[in-house]
Amino acid sequence: MKSRNLGGWWLGITVAILYLFLLAPIIIVVSSAFNAGEYLRFPPQGLSLRWFVRFSQSPSFVQAFKFSLWLAFFVTIASTVVGTMGALFIARYAHRARDALRILMIAPLQFPAILTGIALLIFFYATGIGTRGMRPLFLGHTLVTLPYVFLTVSTVLVGFDRSLEEAARSLGAGPLRTFWRITLPIIKGGIISGALFAFITSFDQFPVSLLLISVGNTTLPIALFDYLRFSFEPTAAAVSTLSVLLSVAIVVLIQRLVGLESIYWGGPR
Amino acid sequence: MAGVDAAVSAQAPAVPARRFPWVVLLIVPILIFLLIFFVIPYVNMVYMSFLVKPAEGAYIKQFTLGNYARALGDPFYWKILRNTFWYSLVTTVITLVLGYPLAYHIARVSRRWRGLLLILLISPLLVSVIVRSFGWMIILGRVGLINQFVKSRGGPELHLMYNAFGIIVGLVHVYLPFMALSIAGSLQNISPDLERAARSLGASPWRAFWRITWPLSLPGVFAGTLLVFVLAVSSYVIPILLGANNVLVMPMIIVQMLLDAFNWPLGSALAMVLFGLTAALLWFYIKLMNRALRWSVR
Repeated sequence: MKSRNLGGWWLGITVAILYLFLLAPIIIVVSSAFNAGEYLRFPPQGLSLRWFVRFSQSPSFVQAFKFSLWLAFFVTIASTVVGTMGALFIARYAHRARDALRILMIAPLQFPAILTGIALLIFFYATGIGTRGMRPLFLGHTLVTLPYVFLTVSTVLVGFDRSLEEAARSLGAGPLRTFWRITLPIIKGGIISGALFAFITSFDQFPVSLLLISVGNTTLPIALFDYLRFSFEPTAAAVSTLSVLLSVAIVVLIQRLVGLESIYWGGPR
Repeated sequence: MAGVDAAVSAQAPAVPARRFPWVVLLIVPILIFLLIFFVIPYVNMVYMSFLVKPAEGAYIKQFTLGNYARALGDPFYWKILRNTFWYSLVTTVITLVLGYPLAYHIARVSRRWRGLLLILLISPLLVSVIVRSFGWMIILGRVGLINQFVKSRGGPELHLMYNAFGIIVGLVHVYLPFMALSIAGSLQNISPDLERAARSLGASPWRAFWRITWPLSLPGVFAGTLLVFVLAVSSYVIPILLGANNVLVMPMIIVQMLLDAFNWPLGSALAMVLFGLTAALLWFYIKLMNRALRWSVR
């Protein structure tokens, strides 16, 4: 009783309905992927994996899935390395420029992704970087995932006890050795969480991809989007389910590593 | 360098600061990356919006205000701008009304439950917007769940999608967690003891809430409404999937102008107009909110 001042049961019921509202579309998509019937029905008419089989036989979806996985993989490596370095510098050495640098690091998150996509499209054409292959997508995704890595790594650096490093240094370890043996193991959770965030953000990225894709280089969200505009088959539900499973795995991993609470700063995908 | 030294000594570190000039190398890659692939493209887009679009080709380097004249002079664009801001406003208000109870609950619930509820609140954010819109398509569609249910009871077919209603449902769903998390952030810093003290002095639960908790949570409300409005103005996926082409919003027009009409100068100008007007509205809102905050402290 001590935690309730207002609302009591009414608040509890309202909140339960709201959580249902938040989860409903995801639950519906996943359950209709296992539907045995020809159309999207709920409740499903029997259980079946036929739509997953249909997915595995669809060259366009399979190709897009693989492309998205590879893209997210490269993007994650780039933004994790570069973002972690930036976070380390700003947390420790930036001093006076700290606030200004921090604003710059988070800026790609504050600008609408669709505008960033447009700006990059025009820029890539103008400079001849072009819009073919994975390169423009790689650069665009790295840009929008950097703030997530920066934020998560910065969070663990705030609570970092520097005296551990000083102890290592005073015992004769060099700066690099100190980093590998002391600093890195301690901030590892934050780095991995940042990497996971970068991965899922790239994998689910839509607005930037929409403007930077080229023929033969389609990401999974774009393939799904094109599909949903014209047809309404359960294959799309099977594809979506795979994407949801990936997200669930990542939520569980982040929760294990640093706890989701540590990253709730309020910012978009 | 003197400035840096002064800053270092002002911080008074436990160990005398050693100078490693090479630590600057840590920040160089990200700075160069952001400069080339963020700052310059945006500046370039502003520049593009002042160029001339010839009949053939993308643009010629010749200064004009014509794109802005077209963007601001056409009633068609004004109608779409009004649509965009109106849907964003409605979304913001609904997410505020729904997000506040969520936030209040999560801030007051026991620690054991809080972790689980935060996961429920945050995990939808990690699921692709396309997938979530797809879920709503299955629920709201012409042969969707709601219509199947209504028809089985002999009711009429409801038009729940490919119109403004569908868009609002989708937008509210996507942005509700942002609102709830922003408000929860500021509610968490308010001790429940304050409300209890008011209660023990004879205030009714509602009075205690309106006089104590609500004013103190205004910074979170402020941050949440700003965030949701900005996100909703630039949303593209949901209006297209849940509104089809029956309802037009500005991001749809801008993307069309760039990808289909291949008119970069006008597309850039329209983007700047949307951005500029959003910034102006937010500036006005921030002024208003600051006054409200000062007033509530009194």
